[in-house]
Amino acid sequence: MQPEAAPPALLSVRDLTVAYGGRTAVQAVNLDIAPGEIVGLTGDSGSGKSTLGLALLGLARPPGRILAGEVRLSGADLLTLSEPQRRSLRGREVGLIVQNPRASLSPLHMIGEQIGAVLKAHLPLDGAAADARAVDLLRNLGLNDPERRAKAYPHEISGGMAQRVLIAMALGAGPRLLVADEPTSGLDVTIQAQFLDELWKTARDVGSAVLLMTQDLGIIANYCDRVLVMQDGAIVADDVTKRFFAAPRDVYSRTLLSLERVAPPVAPGDAAIVLEARGLSKSFRLRDGRKVLQAVDHADFVIGRGETLGLVGESGSGKTTVGRCLLRLIEPDAGEVLFEGRDMGRATPAELRRLRKRIQIVFQDPLDALDPRWTIRDIINEALERPDAARVSELLGFVGLDPAVAKLKPRALSAGAQQRVSIARAIAAEPALIVLDEPTSALTPLARVEIVRLLRDLQARLGSSYLFISHDLSTVEHLSHNVAVMYLGQIVEIGTREQIFRSPRHPYAKALLAAHLAPDPSRRRVDRIEDAKLAGEIPSPIDLPRGCYLAGRCPEAVASCRTQLQPLRTLRDGRQIRCTPVAERDGAKTDPVAA
Amino acid sequence: MSEVVVPRLAGADRAVSRPRADWLFRFGCLIVMLSLVLMVIGPWIAPYDVGRPTDFILEPPPALRDVPRLLWLSITNAPREPVYWFGTDSAGLDIFSRVIAAPRADVAIALGANLVSLTLGSLLGLAAGVARPWIGALIMRTSDLVQAFPVFITGMILVTLAGRSIGTIILTLALLYTPIYVRLTRSEVLTQRQRGFVDAARALGRREAWIALTHVLPNAMAPALIQFSVTIGFAILMTAGLSFVGAGVRPPTPEWGLMIAAGADQIVQGEWWPSLFPGLAISITVFGYAAFGNGLERRHAA
Repeated sequence: MQPEAAPPALLSVRDLTVAYGGRTAVQAVNLDIAPGEIVGLTGDSGSGKSTLGLALLGLARPPGRILAGEVRLSGADLLTLSEPQRRSLRGREVGLIVQNPRASLSPLHMIGEQIGAVLKAHLPLDGAAADARAVDLLRNLGLNDPERRAKAYPHEISGGMAQRVLIAMALGAGPRLLVADEPTSGLDVTIQAQFLDELWKTARDVGSAVLLMTQDLGIIANYCDRVLVMQDGAIVADDVTKRFFAAPRDVYSRTLLSLERVAPPVAPGDAAIVLEARGLSKSFRLRDGRKVLQAVDHADFVIGRGETLGLVGESGSGKTTVGRCLLRLIEPDAGEVLFEGRDMGRATPAELRRLRKRIQIVFQDPLDALDPRWTIRDIINEALERPDAARVSELLGFVGLDPAVAKLKPRALSAGAQQRVSIARAIAAEPALIVLDEPTSALTPLARVEIVRLLRDLQARLGSSYLFISHDLSTVEHLSHNVAVMYLGQIVEIGTREQIFRSPRHPYAKALLAAHLAPDPSRRRVDRIEDAKLAGEIPSPIDLPRGCYLAGRCPEAVASCRTQLQPLRTLRDGRQIRCTPVAERDGAKTDPVAA
Repeated sequence: MSEVVVPRLAGADRAVSRPRADWLFRFGCLIVMLSLVLMVIGPWIAPYDVGRPTDFILEPPPALRDVPRLLWLSITNAPREPVYWFGTDSAGLDIFSRVIAAPRADVAIALGANLVSLTLGSLLGLAAGVARPWIGALIMRTSDLVQAFPVFITGMILVTLAGRSIGTIILTLALLYTPIYVRLTRSEVLTQRQRGFVDAARALGRREAWIALTHVLPNAMAPALIQFSVTIGFAILMTAGLSFVGAGVRPPTPEWGLMIAAGADQIVQGEWWPSLFPGLAISITVFGYAAFGNGLERRHAA
């Protein structure tokens, strides 16, 4: 698949410089892309990736301007062409896929029309022929009933389909280069993998080159032939994927990949139980009063002292609700939360306030979690019994911040530093358990690595337990001793990190882990046989049917799955799984945990 | 752990130019300051006694072409005829003196009424946002009821019941404007109480009332404070309106609404000045406060 000998470059960029006012965002960049090559472009936020991507199409977002350089697309310099000439090249020769598929489609036009419009702009087609071609494109991308889909409006199709429409639009005129800027940011892992599989397959089929811009090294390891790393507007590394991951030469990539080389945390031996949730359930009644959204459905788990339980699942799986129910920030409907042997649900308001201090929570959005009107000192003092400047300095030092930040307001700090303040506030209360609700999702890759290190370091020093909630499987793997996989409010599998990450047993856990893009080019997803693939998309968590929620998508489903509620059963290796066929094959003990 | 995070410079990336809005905002600031200054010292710097008639009744203002000469004479303190810049009214009172003395009534009433309704409204709005649902519903429906009542009727009833005093007028206007602040604060409270730092304070074992007063309310005040400036402008208009219908301050207090009402009869006879100048004063003041509020809002949003 990889073009070995160097054919004449399809795209050749020389000394490209883009600036916003006086600030240079892209500094004299040189790069070449061969025909049919898939190139990954990575770098921290603000490194100039997106600006470079747009400049390749001869575009700059105002007030940005392309100051110098040339962008040769099969010989012709895009930057010296007139605007109409350039416009005719865009779409026909270079396609663009931007973030957020849904927002990129016009809500007022049928999707067939929108694809057709792109085709008509670039190919000598009339209306009917363009529409027919649009339907063909949709069919080739695996949409069933493409004639009907072409007449749908964007709000009528699912997110997964919207992405395929975007691919169809970008590849419709057969461009030889496709520029994709973070095409999957904000998507769930299974949808992300589906999308990238689709993109990879289509690009390979039509022989398009792809420049894939992403902050996720996992995506690059799995789909790209070559890697470019940007830092401060310059390209600091350019290497073949395998060699890049074996020995990254630049500091940025080395830092990001450093976690991969650190052994995951070792579980403390026979830890005392800090928290136990039994049959924890929470449902929300929707506006119309009749429909019920089952956010958490009989969750059972145990967290030991000094131990981290990773809670993974896609959006809407109820992870966050579980975390909030533990502190009774949301009142659970049913079930018990035993914290250090005491039932949180039966605590009086005064007791609850005392108990809560022993469980702290760190939120996803670091700025939102800090009162914007308070200084860092006040924010941390709030967690202390009485204001104590020395203790505030000590806590700030703990989380790697200069004590001088105490007099600043949260807005003056970077997102990573804000999250450190949140963590400092959490540990100030000397909790036994910290609920970490996606603490790294809003951060740049570099800040994420630092926070993961910090959390591991603090756990080693202070011995606190974590409930680590995340959709980012890599981070969970770096932090957790045990892992629970949630699907539509239920824990479908819970076991040790090795059990879940090396050999998941529940069909959903298998599919989720198969969609996990590890930054390891020797385990590429595109090389694996897709045995764990699930049909369709996650159903809405409203008014779920009896029986297994996965039955409709599951390759292992038998007739009884559709009618019987699946109990959580313990397998022989100690893990628990909510799938009767798999459990029976395992010869599980016949002690179904009360469902 | 060892590395130290350097704080990012706040606002460094927020240098977006807003020339036109800034011009309006500066004008607004000027008017607001001028009105506040006149509220304090207006009656003292008035060239004539605002309550003692002059010898000239319905003297028109000087012709435009004479204004530069007269201005020069008054600046150089040269001996001259008495000048009535805005003319005199049917009682012989100097209109210019009364226009610059009037903020002591108009602005003071508007300011007082808004301070009362801001305090009351934001506390009620906070309660409506954080207390039990039925308390919230009660507060909101009461606000609806108050707002549904025609202002002038309320004003006249209250004035009839309690007499024409500044206190009564302040109360009438406060009653009128409280629902606005209740509504604004409540909707912002509903947003702010969902924020992470509120849950974080809860997780630290803080009481709900303490969280509401220290975290939720201060962060929910911005829209109400911006509204404060705009509403003062309208309250000035309303104060004048109440005087116009006879439910406001007592004549001969210098007050723009009273002056317009007094001059209204003479407009048909071609004597326009007794009403025009106080009318302009109201317009400029209301506009100034609105521009000021608008500028604040933009700054807040930026």
